[in-house]
Amino acid sequence: MKGFAEMKVPGGKLLAIRVDYSDRIDKIEILGDFFIHPEECLEAIENSLTGIEAASSASEIVEKVDAIVARYDAELIGVNSQAIADTIKSALK
Amino acid sequence: MNWRIIELQSNTAAMNMAIDDAVARFVKQGSSKPTIRFYTWKPSAVSIGRFQSLEHEVNVKRCEGLGIDYVRRITGGGAVYHDSGGEITYSVIGPETMFPKGIRESYSCICQWVIKGLSNIGIWAEFAPINDILVEGKKISGNAQTRRNGILLQHGTVLYDLNIKKMFGVLKVSKAKISDKMIKNVEDRVTSVIRHRPVSSRELYNALLKGFTEGKEYEMGVISKEEMEFADELAENTYSSKEWNFSR
Repeated sequence: MKGFAEMKVPGGKLLAIRVDYSDRIDKIEILGDFFIHPEECLEAIENSLTGIEAASSASEIVEKVDAIVARYDAELIGVNSQAIADTIKSALK
Repeated sequence: MNWRIIELQSNTAAMNMAIDDAVARFVKQGSSKPTIRFYTWKPSAVSIGRFQSLEHEVNVKRCEGLGIDYVRRITGGGAVYHDSGGEITYSVIGPETMFPKGIRESYSCICQWVIKGLSNIGIWAEFAPINDILVEGKKISGNAQTRRNGILLQHGTVLYDLNIKKMFGVLKVSKAKISDKMIKNVEDRVTSVIRHRPVSSRELYNALLKGFTEGKEYEMGVISKEEMEFADELAENTYSSKEWNFSR
Protein backbone atom coordinates (compact mmCIF):
# COMPACT_ATOMS: atom_id res chain seq x y z
CA MET A 1 0.00 0.00 0.00
CA LYS A 2 1.00 3.60 -0.44
CA GLY A 3 0.48 6.33 2.13
CA PHE A 4 0.95 10.07 2.15
CA ALA A 5 0.46 12.71 4.82
CA GLU A 6 1.65 16.24 5.35
CA MET A 7 1.57 18.79 8.12
CA LYS A 8 2.80 22.26 8.96
CA VAL A 9 4.97 21.76 12.01
CA PRO A 10 3.73 24.25 14.63
CA GLY A 11 6.24 27.10 14.65
CA GLY A 12 8.24 25.25 12.02
CA LYS A 13 8.26 24.16 8.40
CA LEU A 14 6.27 21.90 6.09
CA LEU A 15 6.70 18.17 6.51
CA ALA A 16 5.40 15.40 4.25
CA ILE A 17 5.75 11.62 4.42
CA ARG A 18 5.52 9.30 1.42
CA VAL A 19 5.49 5.64 2.39
CA ASP A 20 5.13 2.20 0.79
CA TYR A 21 4.09 -0.43 3.32
CA SER A 22 2.59 -3.82 3.98
CA ASP A 23 2.87 -5.11 7.54
CA ARG A 24 6.23 -3.33 7.53
CA ILE A 25 7.49 -0.06 6.07
CA ASP A 26 9.04 -1.00 2.72
CA LYS A 27 10.09 2.50 1.63
CA ILE A 28 9.80 5.89 3.27
CA GLU A 29 10.62 9.42 2.18
CA ILE A 30 10.63 12.35 4.60
CA LEU A 31 10.02 15.49 2.56
CA GLY A 32 9.69 19.19 3.26
CA ASP A 33 11.23 22.63 3.49
CA PHE A 34 12.91 22.05 6.84
CA PHE A 35 16.67 21.98 7.51
CA ILE A 36 18.77 19.15 8.91
CA HIS A 37 22.47 19.63 9.51
CA PRO A 38 24.25 17.52 8.40
CA GLU A 39 21.88 16.74 5.53
CA GLU A 40 23.02 13.08 5.30
CA CYS A 41 21.25 12.48 8.61
CA LEU A 42 17.87 12.45 6.85
CA GLU A 43 18.75 9.47 4.67
CA ALA A 44 20.03 7.67 7.75
CA ILE A 45 16.70 8.33 9.48
CA GLU A 46 14.81 6.96 6.46
CA ASN A 47 17.05 3.87 6.41
CA SER A 48 16.50 3.26 10.11
CA LEU A 49 12.72 3.38 9.64
CA THR A 50 12.69 1.08 6.61
CA GLY A 51 11.66 -2.40 7.70
CA ILE A 52 10.01 -1.44 11.00
CA GLU A 53 6.49 -2.71 11.68
CA ALA A 54 3.79 -0.51 10.22
CA ALA A 55 2.00 -0.82 13.56
CA SER A 56 4.94 0.77 15.44
CA SER A 57 3.80 3.40 17.92
CA ALA A 58 4.68 7.08 17.57
CA SER A 59 6.94 6.82 20.61
CA GLU A 60 8.86 3.91 19.06
CA ILE A 61 9.38 5.99 15.91
CA VAL A 62 10.48 9.02 17.96
CA GLU A 63 13.04 6.82 19.71
CA LYS A 64 14.48 5.62 16.39
CA VAL A 65 14.68 9.13 14.94
CA ASP A 66 16.26 10.54 18.10
CA ALA A 67 18.90 7.78 18.09
CA ILE A 68 20.02 8.69 14.55
CA VAL A 69 19.95 12.42 15.32
CA ALA A 70 22.18 11.78 18.34
CA ARG A 71 24.53 9.56 16.30
CA TYR A 72 25.00 12.33 13.70
CA ASP A 73 25.02 15.07 16.36
CA ALA A 74 22.49 16.63 14.00
CA GLU A 75 20.51 19.82 14.34
CA LEU A 76 16.90 19.80 13.14
CA ILE A 77 15.44 23.19 12.24
CA GLY A 78 11.75 23.61 11.57
CA VAL A 79 11.01 19.93 12.23
CA ASN A 80 11.34 17.51 15.15
CA SER A 81 11.15 13.80 15.84
CA GLN A 82 7.62 14.00 17.28
CA ALA A 83 6.31 15.74 14.15
CA ILE A 84 8.02 13.13 11.96
CA ALA A 85 6.49 10.29 13.99
CA ASP A 86 3.00 11.82 14.02
CA THR A 87 3.06 12.41 10.26
CA ILE A 88 4.27 8.86 9.62
CA LYS A 89 1.39 7.53 11.71
CA SER A 90 -1.04 9.64 9.65
CA ALA A 91 0.47 8.37 6.40
CA LEU A 92 0.07 4.77 7.58
CA LYS A 93 -3.67 5.09 8.32
CA MET B 1 40.20 37.39 6.41
CA ASN B 2 40.27 38.69 2.86
CA TRP B 3 37.11 38.05 0.86
CA ARG B 4 36.75 37.55 -2.88
CA ILE B 5 33.70 39.25 -4.35
CA ILE B 6 32.24 37.94 -7.60
CA GLU B 7 30.30 40.59 -9.52
CA LEU B 8 26.68 40.06 -10.52
CA GLN B 9 26.47 37.48 -13.30
CA SER B 10 23.70 35.45 -14.96
CA ASN B 11 23.75 31.69 -15.40
CA THR B 12 21.47 28.73 -15.89
CA ALA B 13 20.07 27.13 -12.73
CA ALA B 14 22.39 24.14 -12.98
CA MET B 15 25.45 26.35 -13.47
CA ASN B 16 24.53 28.66 -10.58
CA MET B 17 24.32 25.71 -8.21
CA ALA B 18 27.43 24.12 -9.69
CA ILE B 19 29.52 27.27 -9.23
CA ASP B 20 28.50 27.56 -5.56
CA ASP B 21 29.38 23.90 -5.05
CA ALA B 22 32.70 24.17 -6.90
CA VAL B 23 33.71 27.32 -5.04
CA ALA B 24 32.92 25.63 -1.70
CA ARG B 25 35.24 22.76 -2.59
CA PHE B 26 38.05 25.11 -3.66
CA VAL B 27 37.63 27.20 -0.50
CA LYS B 28 37.89 23.97 1.49
CA GLN B 29 41.14 23.06 -0.29
CA GLY B 30 42.50 26.52 0.46
CA SER B 31 42.94 27.29 -3.23
CA SER B 32 40.19 29.94 -3.25
CA LYS B 33 39.44 32.74 -0.84
CA PRO B 34 36.17 32.95 1.07
CA THR B 35 33.74 34.17 -1.54
CA ILE B 36 30.64 36.28 -1.87
CA ARG B 37 28.84 35.87 -5.20
CA PHE B 38 25.93 37.80 -6.65
CA TYR B 39 23.93 36.26 -9.45
CA THR B 40 20.69 36.08 -11.37
CA TRP B 41 19.08 33.18 -13.21
CA LYS B 42 18.86 33.04 -16.98
CA PRO B 43 16.47 31.63 -17.98
CA SER B 44 14.15 32.09 -15.00
CA ALA B 45 14.18 29.04 -12.77
CA VAL B 46 12.69 27.21 -9.83
CA SER B 47 15.01 25.88 -7.17
CA ILE B 48 13.78 23.39 -4.60
CA GLY B 49 15.18 22.49 -1.20
CA ARG B 50 17.36 19.44 -0.66
CA PHE B 51 14.53 17.46 0.99
CA GLN B 52 11.65 18.42 -1.25
CA SER B 53 10.03 16.35 -3.97
CA LEU B 54 10.39 18.09 -7.33
CA GLU B 55 7.13 16.72 -8.68
CA HIS B 56 5.30 17.56 -5.46
CA GLU B 57 6.49 21.18 -5.49
CA VAL B 58 6.88 22.12 -9.13
CA ASN B 59 4.73 21.94 -12.24
CA VAL B 60 7.53 20.41 -14.27
CA LYS B 61 5.60 20.25 -17.54
CA ARG B 62 4.68 23.91 -17.34
CA CYS B 63 8.30 24.82 -16.60
CA GLU B 64 9.46 22.87 -19.63
CA GLY B 65 6.77 24.50 -21.78
CA LEU B 66 7.78 27.99 -20.67
CA GLY B 67 11.51 27.35 -20.87
CA ILE B 68 11.92 27.72 -17.11
CA ASP B 69 14.80 25.79 -15.52
CA TYR B 70 14.46 23.69 -12.39
CA VAL B 71 17.13 22.48 -10.01
CA ARG B 72 17.53 20.85 -6.61
CA ARG B 73 19.73 22.82 -4.21
CA ILE B 74 22.19 21.25 -1.79
CA THR B 75 20.62 23.38 0.92
CA GLY B 76 17.35 22.71 2.73
CA GLY B 77 14.43 25.11 2.69
CA GLY B 78 11.61 25.61 0.26
CA ALA B 79 10.88 25.99 -3.43
CA VAL B 80 11.73 29.40 -4.87
CA TYR B 81 10.80 30.92 -8.21
CA HIS B 82 13.75 32.94 -9.48
CA ASP B 83 12.50 35.38 -12.10
CA SER B 84 15.46 36.43 -14.24
CA GLY B 85 14.70 40.13 -13.85
CA GLY B 86 12.89 39.91 -10.55
CA GLU B 87 15.51 39.19 -7.94
CA ILE B 88 19.16 39.13 -6.97
CA THR B 89 20.61 35.98 -5.45
CA TYR B 90 23.77 35.90 -3.39
CA SER B 91 25.93 33.18 -1.92
CA VAL B 92 28.38 33.39 0.93
CA ILE B 93 31.00 30.65 1.09
CA GLY B 94 33.68 30.46 3.75
CA PRO B 95 35.15 28.38 6.56
CA GLU B 96 32.66 27.78 9.39
CA THR B 97 35.13 29.38 11.77
CA MET B 98 34.44 32.78 10.18
CA PHE B 99 30.83 32.69 11.37
CA PRO B 100 28.97 32.20 14.65
CA LYS B 101 28.93 28.51 15.59
CA GLY B 102 25.17 28.19 15.94
CA ILE B 103 23.21 27.83 12.71
CA ARG B 104 20.51 30.27 13.79
CA GLU B 105 23.15 32.82 14.83
CA SER B 106 25.03 32.50 11.55
CA TYR B 107 21.81 33.10 9.59
CA SER B 108 21.34 36.24 11.64
CA CYS B 109 24.95 37.35 11.02
CA ILE B 110 24.80 37.04 7.22
CA CYS B 111 21.27 38.41 7.00
CA GLN B 112 22.51 41.59 8.68
CA TRP B 113 24.60 42.23 5.54
CA VAL B 114 21.43 42.07 3.44
CA ILE B 115 19.62 44.35 5.89
CA LYS B 116 22.52 46.81 5.71
CA GLY B 117 22.37 46.66 1.92
CA LEU B 118 18.66 47.39 1.84
CA SER B 119 19.14 50.30 4.25
CA ASN B 120 21.49 51.84 1.68
CA ILE B 121 18.44 52.42 -0.55
CA GLY B 122 16.24 53.51 2.34
CA ILE B 123 14.47 50.22 2.97
CA TRP B 124 14.29 49.26 6.63
CA ALA B 125 14.28 45.50 7.00
CA GLU B 126 14.49 43.11 9.93
CA PHE B 127 15.72 39.58 10.43
CA ALA B 128 12.95 37.06 11.09
CA PRO B 129 14.32 33.77 12.41
CA ILE B 130 14.94 31.17 11.19
CA ASN B 131 15.97 32.33 7.75
CA ASP B 132 13.88 35.23 6.47
CA ILE B 133 14.16 39.00 6.16
CA LEU B 134 11.02 41.10 6.37
CA VAL B 135 10.02 44.63 5.41
CA GLU B 136 6.90 45.92 7.15
CA GLY B 137 6.14 42.36 8.20
CA LYS B 138 6.39 40.91 4.68
CA LYS B 139 9.13 38.62 3.37
CA ILE B 140 11.62 40.22 1.00
CA SER B 141 14.46 37.72 1.35
CA GLY B 142 14.73 33.98 2.03
CA ASN B 143 17.94 32.17 2.91
CA ALA B 144 19.23 28.61 3.05
CA GLN B 145 22.46 27.30 4.49
CA THR B 146 24.52 24.13 4.51
CA ARG B 147 27.76 23.21 6.19
CA ARG B 148 30.01 20.61 4.62
CA ASN B 149 33.55 19.66 5.56
CA GLY B 150 33.98 22.76 7.66
CA ILE B 151 32.67 25.11 4.95
CA LEU B 152 29.52 27.19 5.34
CA LEU B 153 27.53 27.95 2.22
CA GLN B 154 24.53 30.22 2.46
CA HIS B 155 22.53 31.38 -0.46
CA GLY B 156 19.65 33.77 -0.39
CA THR B 157 17.54 35.95 -2.62
CA VAL B 158 16.34 39.52 -2.44
CA LEU B 159 13.09 40.09 -4.30
CA TYR B 160 13.35 43.07 -6.64
CA ASP B 161 10.01 42.73 -8.41
CA LEU B 162 7.33 40.15 -7.89
CA ASN B 163 5.44 38.30 -10.59
CA ILE B 164 2.94 36.34 -8.53
CA LYS B 165 1.07 35.00 -11.54
CA LYS B 166 4.24 33.52 -13.04
CA MET B 167 5.37 32.23 -9.66
CA PHE B 168 2.17 30.31 -9.01
CA GLY B 169 2.06 29.10 -12.58
CA VAL B 170 5.06 26.92 -11.86
CA LEU B 171 4.91 26.26 -8.10
CA LYS B 172 2.42 23.87 -6.54
CA VAL B 173 1.22 25.04 -3.15
CA SER B 174 0.52 22.28 -0.67
CA LYS B 175 -2.80 21.96 1.11
CA ALA B 176 -1.01 22.08 4.46
CA LYS B 177 0.39 25.47 3.61
CA ILE B 178 -2.92 26.83 2.36
CA SER B 179 -4.75 25.58 5.42
CA ASP B 180 -2.21 27.08 7.81
CA LYS B 181 -4.21 29.90 9.34
CA MET B 182 -1.06 31.87 10.04
CA ILE B 183 -0.40 32.16 6.33
CA LYS B 184 -2.70 34.42 4.39
CA ASN B 185 -2.51 34.97 0.68
CA VAL B 186 0.88 35.59 -0.84
CA GLU B 187 0.44 39.31 -1.40
CA ASP B 188 -0.07 39.73 2.33
CA ARG B 189 3.16 37.99 3.18
CA VAL B 190 5.64 38.72 0.38
CA THR B 191 6.99 42.04 -0.83
CA SER B 192 9.70 43.32 -3.17
CA VAL B 193 12.14 46.21 -3.38
CA ILE B 194 10.26 48.00 -6.14
CA ARG B 195 7.18 48.27 -3.92
CA HIS B 196 9.16 50.34 -1.45
CA ARG B 197 11.70 52.30 -3.51
CA PRO B 198 11.77 53.20 -7.24
CA VAL B 199 15.33 51.95 -7.79
CA SER B 200 16.78 50.01 -10.70
CA SER B 201 18.00 46.46 -10.17
CA ARG B 202 21.54 47.81 -10.69
CA GLU B 203 21.02 50.25 -7.83
CA LEU B 204 19.80 47.37 -5.68
CA TYR B 205 22.90 45.36 -6.57
CA ASN B 206 25.21 48.27 -5.72
CA ALA B 207 23.42 48.74 -2.39
CA LEU B 208 23.77 45.04 -1.57
CA LEU B 209 27.41 45.02 -2.63
CA LYS B 210 28.09 47.88 -0.22
CA GLY B 211 26.13 46.17 2.56
CA PHE B 212 28.01 42.90 2.13
CA THR B 213 31.49 44.43 1.93
CA GLU B 214 31.30 47.22 4.51
CA GLY B 215 33.95 46.72 7.18
CA LYS B 216 35.51 43.76 5.37
CA GLU B 217 38.83 43.34 3.60
CA TYR B 218 37.96 42.25 0.10
CA GLU B 219 38.90 42.34 -3.56
CA MET B 220 36.77 42.02 -6.65
CA GLY B 221 37.62 38.69 -8.28
CA VAL B 222 36.55 36.13 -10.81
CA ILE B 223 35.77 32.42 -10.75
CA SER B 224 39.07 30.74 -11.65
CA LYS B 225 39.52 28.58 -14.74
CA GLU B 226 39.88 25.51 -12.50
CA GLU B 227 36.71 26.34 -10.58
CA MET B 228 34.82 26.85 -13.85
CA GLU B 229 36.04 23.52 -15.25
CA PHE B 230 34.86 21.76 -12.12
CA ALA B 231 31.57 23.70 -12.14
CA ASP B 232 31.00 22.64 -15.78
CA GLU B 233 31.36 19.00 -14.73
CA LEU B 234 29.03 19.42 -11.75
CA ALA B 235 26.45 21.28 -13.85
CA GLU B 236 26.40 18.54 -16.44
CA ASN B 237 26.71 15.45 -14.26
CA THR B 238 24.82 16.51 -11.13
CA TYR B 239 22.69 19.63 -11.31
CA SER B 240 21.25 18.90 -14.77
CA SER B 241 20.73 15.23 -14.04
CA LYS B 242 17.40 13.51 -13.43
CA GLU B 243 19.09 11.40 -10.75
CA TRP B 244 19.75 14.51 -8.66
CA ASN B 245 16.76 16.69 -9.49
CA PHE B 246 14.17 13.91 -9.26
CA SER B 247 15.89 12.06 -6.41
CA ARG B 248 12.84 12.71 -4.21
